[in-house]
Amino acid sequence: MNFLNKSRTVLLLTLGSFIFLTRTPPSRAQTSSPKFEKISNKKSGVTFKNQLKEDEKNNILRYEYFYNGGGVAIGDLDNDGLEDLFFTANMSSNKVYRNLGNWKFEDKTKSAGVGGKDVWTTGVSMADVNGDGLLDIYVCYSGKGSPAARGNELWINQGDFTFTDKAEAYGLADKSNSTQALFFDFDKDGDLDMYLLNHHIEVINELEFSEVKTIRHPYAGDKLYRNDNGEFIDISEQAGIKGSALGFGLGIVSSDINQDGWPDILVTNDYIEPDYLYINNGDGTFTDRMTDYFQHISHFSMGADISDVNNDGKPDIYTLDMLPEDNERQKLLYGPENYEQYALMIKEGFYHQSMRNMLQLNQGNGLFSEVGQLSNISNSDWSWSALFFDATNNGKKDLFITNGYYRDYTNRDFLKYKGDYYFKQAVANEKADTLHLVTTMTSTPIHNYMFENTGSLNFTDRSLDWGFGEKGFSSGAAYADLDNDGDLDLVVNNLNDQASIYENVSAAKNWLQITLKENSLNTYAVGAKVEVFTGDENLTLEEHPVRGFQSSVSPRLQFGLGEISTIPSIQVIWPDGSTQFLENITANQHITIEKESSERTQATGKPSPILSKSDFAPKYNPEPNQYNDFKRQPLMLTMPSYISPFLSQGDLNGDGNPELFIGGTKGQAGKIMSYENGTWKDYSGFRSSNEFTDAVAVFEDFNGDGMEDLFIGSGGYHDYLSSDESLQDRLYLNDGQGRLTRQSSFPAYTFSTGTAQAFDANGDGHLDLFVGARLIPGRYPMVPASKLLVNDGKGNFSDKTEEYLPNGGKLGLITSSELIDMNSDGKMDLILAGEFMPITVLINSGSGFENKTNSYLPTTLSGWWNTLAKADLDGDGDMDLIAGNFGLNSQFEVNENKKLRLYAADFDQNGSIDPILECFVGDKMYPYPSRDELLDQMASMRSRFTDYASYSKATMADLFTVQELEKSQILEANILESVVLENTGNGFEVKSLPRIAQSFPVFSILPIDLNQDGNMDLILGGNQTYTRIRIGLMDAGLGLVLIGDGKGNFTPLSPAESGLAIKGDIKSILPIQTSFGTHLLFGINQKPLESYTIR
Amino acid sequence: MVMNVSLAKPKEINWPKVYTQQLFHITEVMVTDVASPPVAARIYAYSTLATYLISKEAGMGFEHQDILGQTYLAGQNWDVENPGLSSPEFAAIYAMLKVGEAIMPSGYLLKEKQQDWINTALKAKIINKKSLQVHLDYASLIAKKVMEVAKKDGYLQLSTLTRYTPQQGEGFWYPTPPAYIAAVEPEWKTIKPFFIQNLNEYEPAPMAPFDMTEGSSFHTQLMEVYTTTNELGEEKKLIANFWDCNPFKVQFSGHMAIGVKKISPGGHWIGITGIAAQKAALSFAETAYIHALVGMTLHDAFISCWKAKYETDRIRPETVINQQLDQRWRPLLQTPPFPEYTSGHSVISRASAVVLTGYFGDNFDFIDSSETYFGLPERPFPSFLYASEEAAISRLYGGIHFRDAIEEGVKQGEKIGNMVWTKVGTKK
Repeated sequence: MNFLNKSRTVLLLTLGSFIFLTRTPPSRAQTSSPKFEKISNKKSGVTFKNQLKEDEKNNILRYEYFYNGGGVAIGDLDNDGLEDLFFTANMSSNKVYRNLGNWKFEDKTKSAGVGGKDVWTTGVSMADVNGDGLLDIYVCYSGKGSPAARGNELWINQGDFTFTDKAEAYGLADKSNSTQALFFDFDKDGDLDMYLLNHHIEVINELEFSEVKTIRHPYAGDKLYRNDNGEFIDISEQAGIKGSALGFGLGIVSSDINQDGWPDILVTNDYIEPDYLYINNGDGTFTDRMTDYFQHISHFSMGADISDVNNDGKPDIYTLDMLPEDNERQKLLYGPENYEQYALMIKEGFYHQSMRNMLQLNQGNGLFSEVGQLSNISNSDWSWSALFFDATNNGKKDLFITNGYYRDYTNRDFLKYKGDYYFKQAVANEKADTLHLVTTMTSTPIHNYMFENTGSLNFTDRSLDWGFGEKGFSSGAAYADLDNDGDLDLVVNNLNDQASIYENVSAAKNWLQITLKENSLNTYAVGAKVEVFTGDENLTLEEHPVRGFQSSVSPRLQFGLGEISTIPSIQVIWPDGSTQFLENITANQHITIEKESSERTQATGKPSPILSKSDFAPKYNPEPNQYNDFKRQPLMLTMPSYISPFLSQGDLNGDGNPELFIGGTKGQAGKIMSYENGTWKDYSGFRSSNEFTDAVAVFEDFNGDGMEDLFIGSGGYHDYLSSDESLQDRLYLNDGQGRLTRQSSFPAYTFSTGTAQAFDANGDGHLDLFVGARLIPGRYPMVPASKLLVNDGKGNFSDKTEEYLPNGGKLGLITSSELIDMNSDGKMDLILAGEFMPITVLINSGSGFENKTNSYLPTTLSGWWNTLAKADLDGDGDMDLIAGNFGLNSQFEVNENKKLRLYAADFDQNGSIDPILECFVGDKMYPYPSRDELLDQMASMRSRFTDYASYSKATMADLFTVQELEKSQILEANILESVVLENTGNGFEVKSLPRIAQSFPVFSILPIDLNQDGNMDLILGGNQTYTRIRIGLMDAGLGLVLIGDGKGNFTPLSPAESGLAIKGDIKSILPIQTSFGTHLLFGINQKPLESYTIR
Repeated sequence: MVMNVSLAKPKEINWPKVYTQQLFHITEVMVTDVASPPVAARIYAYSTLATYLISKEAGMGFEHQDILGQTYLAGQNWDVENPGLSSPEFAAIYAMLKVGEAIMPSGYLLKEKQQDWINTALKAKIINKKSLQVHLDYASLIAKKVMEVAKKDGYLQLSTLTRYTPQQGEGFWYPTPPAYIAAVEPEWKTIKPFFIQNLNEYEPAPMAPFDMTEGSSFHTQLMEVYTTTNELGEEKKLIANFWDCNPFKVQFSGHMAIGVKKISPGGHWIGITGIAAQKAALSFAETAYIHALVGMTLHDAFISCWKAKYETDRIRPETVINQQLDQRWRPLLQTPPFPEYTSGHSVISRASAVVLTGYFGDNFDFIDSSETYFGLPERPFPSFLYASEEAAISRLYGGIHFRDAIEEGVKQGEKIGNMVWTKVGTKK
């Protein structure tokens, strides 16, 4: 081997002990921005251009994937230490360029003989297929031509920069409509097998063709070829590979996703067909476990990458889609939300799909949380290739995305108004020409995206300042260190434009490059995993060159080391599972690691988790609920009907055994169950009606007879009228025998209740009630008046709201409350939170409450608050607060300078409330509703915005006059993070929760010392399934355990560490003490209760 | 549209042709806006109503009874003073275009047509410059008055009502391929009809209940749709396409989707009305009369039909066939996005044909060129009723309706048409 750089072959002892060198921490000071510089085509000699020729025969109408573009493969074809380039062109000659060094490349296509044929060309992969140490090239073909013409090519490397197509000989001249091939050793027999990613050339849009799913399509279905001594055998069917005509494979990446030592496969599919996540069973077969692993996926999935983005050693999965970043292009793209079509998609097994990039964060144990929006990498327009790589050598993998589509078909105006063309041509007595219509469609070039990984699942858009501002249409891409200066450069295949080569000119940091060498037919050790332990981070890469889109990257692995000059330890896990350790490797070199024969190591035992699932929970099978609140108020963002089950505990008969209240919802009555002698029984002393939706339940002795009574707050939205009797709150008094009787004299106000507190508000020794009003069904978000009800001591309550509560009780859309004596005057004060309202502190004077928020909170904390909990988190003797918010895993960017504003009024004076949310997209505020949503709600807007283009730039000022807006009710939110409010004695100080706690809306918080270290820990539950289709499922929460340090700081546990893994919308968490210890009950919307015990 | 030929001299003006041409401008905007069938009928009703109202206020006189006296507007005090118009015809057409402008989302597109109409009228000496403003003011006022009543017919309240949710269970409607468009105007029954006082009186006979047992009425009808559409000859295909009248047919090609547009069923019968008016060489007043009458009849027929559709909420043949017989079956026509029973085209075609027959007489033959702009040939018919029969049965050929929805739809339309014509049909 002859490496130009200061490379050497390293042969080191295996299984050495870890040595962590002490070192000075790397400087965190801001260094100058790293940048990429485009090398001119003239300088490089790379004049390759994927030029399309649109004509009667070749056009988008005849071939759906006409604008998908070509690929790039990079690898050292002649083993001279310089990475060479291969490009595919859809309609012209493919090109191979030999890297001459110093940014000079020589077009060797002719002499190499790899120009290809006059058939629609797609992806390319480099792999040493015959195991001779030389990279071969596999080129894929598709298009509408005859199958005979489009057999894929396997260019076997002859070693002298010439190649011979041996596809037929190897059995790989497959005639499918191929996208790209993945070479990997799926059966771990030491040679490379091949997964062929294919696509259909005709689109099936209908959802009801379940028959199509079951039939293997000869050219559209993916294929798996097993390498049997150099002969590739199609084993697709026996291996469990799907092959239906619905397959529109656009991305293929392999990784050991479940970390069992066997390479798995991600296949992304365009259109309605879900992505496939093939888990390798280790017995020659795969099982698509996508629906087990993911809770929702990209809709029109395109390119993909799998890489450990947060350096936790687990591969994370990223799929691309087509959601634009800016308001204008979004508004042009979004049509009406169709809940029936979505339901059909689910029913027909196409799963939850949303149109945006998805980052599936690997939480271990086959659990994933989708955090693409939290990570700020969900919107990159019509995207093709995604590549995670460390662009700055700082140890964090950045993200490069190519994008662009040559015609704006998905523009809604095209769908709705381009059809006028035919009619107008007919009226004008002229012939209509569809091709003309299509080729005159607008073309919007956009820049590629480069995101800097700034840690903690944060990515920052650096597209413009790192040198990717140029607009165009890009497709395949690959990275490699083209000039051997220790950083990764980029090569991009562009549509109708010359390829781009970007030199990485970022500031020098330390690095290490590794080439793996295995003495088998899998010479490049495809499937190996390398972990570099730098001392404070574990950097992990897998040797899988095929990633992104139709492309393969260099097999040489690149590790950015930041300031570290000596690497304490490197672990290589070879494809056969054997492990090799290297120690004290000097940075800034390219090393080759050859596989040593070594012992196989067993995976280390997992630490036992804090919680374990138990069968303590009573049997409770909720009825499915079908209400779609958006049918009633189409401009709401989430559905307020879905709040159950509320859980609460009491002891009604004073027998010391707990009674459990399980809140009902319309259609299913709330109930009480008793736990006796280890079993749950229905409690006979209580009956409720299935008309109610129970929002809150409070067990207290309201009439002073020594027995617990029950107050139930009625909530929900459903089809309740604003004056519905089913909205009345209920007081049940205990007859002394444990039998509860509803009191007809209880005040009969009607609103949807959000929260309630029983406490002695006026100091007369009796428990009074504060009832927080959440909303008025049908009139969201008009603020109802909350109630203060004074108890005469016998359980007779009178409405003293006007007397006691500020602003007549109109305090906000209240979802939660807590009692804390803020000023230590012996009187409980009220803390309130809710949707689009500030956390509010009401100080109790004994004869009334005063809003003293400003005295106790440093700033206004207006959020989309769902819940509050109190506990002494810092051990200073007073109560701190934990506040559950909407979270940061959404399209909304909200802070003090970028507020959400919810305007509400009957703007068009037709009797219905028109709630219009205004939010920032980029640096400007826009109305949130799509044009169709707005026009559906307000007929008057139909003549205002007669097409999508006119609405795409509209601001609130274009919708309403200043006077109209001034007269409307305006609610705001300036924070969407869930936070800790530390009580300092003088007020609250805001403290952040860990980033992962922001990945889902928090609806339930339980402070509890789980590890018995004397410090309060937290369990956060949440998620929101009932959102607008555009928002999609908010399901990243699996029940999050945060370990407290007693100072108000928290460390998150992974599900593997905590033992807690609940899919669904957790609405309540209730600890119940029994003689067997503490049980945690989880109330999950429309699911059975779950219980966990503490270790 | 060019009209210089028909406007050589005022006295030789072919008013039915001018009227038809100007009304077509409104149709063009409806096509652009993708007005759904019931919405289109409402637009025709109120825009033609303006022409009738001006003719009436101008004392032009009609052969038959006053229309408005038979509608919910009978007692309406329009509160306008006739300024003494030299050309009520000019004002009427101008008012029609003004209503069109106000009532349609893209109505602004008619501003240009209004100016064209002014220029044309001036050039043809229908109106002189001096009296122009009086005419425009009066026409605008009438248009405003018409819009005032239109705004109170329940249309603006539609968005306050809870949206349609498909019912659980067998045999109910569900959105259909390929675009799965949401239910169109599920609450249209809340719109005020012109003639009908009690919608319940026009309820169709009960439909065959959903029953997949062989030999059941439903199953037999289902098989009839399936076999008929699988054995369509050229003539039947032509008939189905001729009466398709789908305002928005979505064609997909991968990510690309495009809406191909046609006039609505109501638009087709307004077209036929114009053709008949021209053939009969009606006066302006009579042209306005019959257009308004057909427009308002269409509107009532749609309200009645839409009430039935959402009360029965019946499944479309395509859905059942895909679920139970043949997954890949597609109807010749794209299934429109609303429940099946009764067939809208059957109801409104019959209602229109009855009124037109009453007005123009039996066996009034005509050549229907309404669909030529949509790539379909002219089609001769011996009578309105014959045409309505063909429109009705075309839905079976198109694979989008069962036979009972067609036959009971025809009866429903017949009843509405008869009611209307009985009210206004006696000659003065």
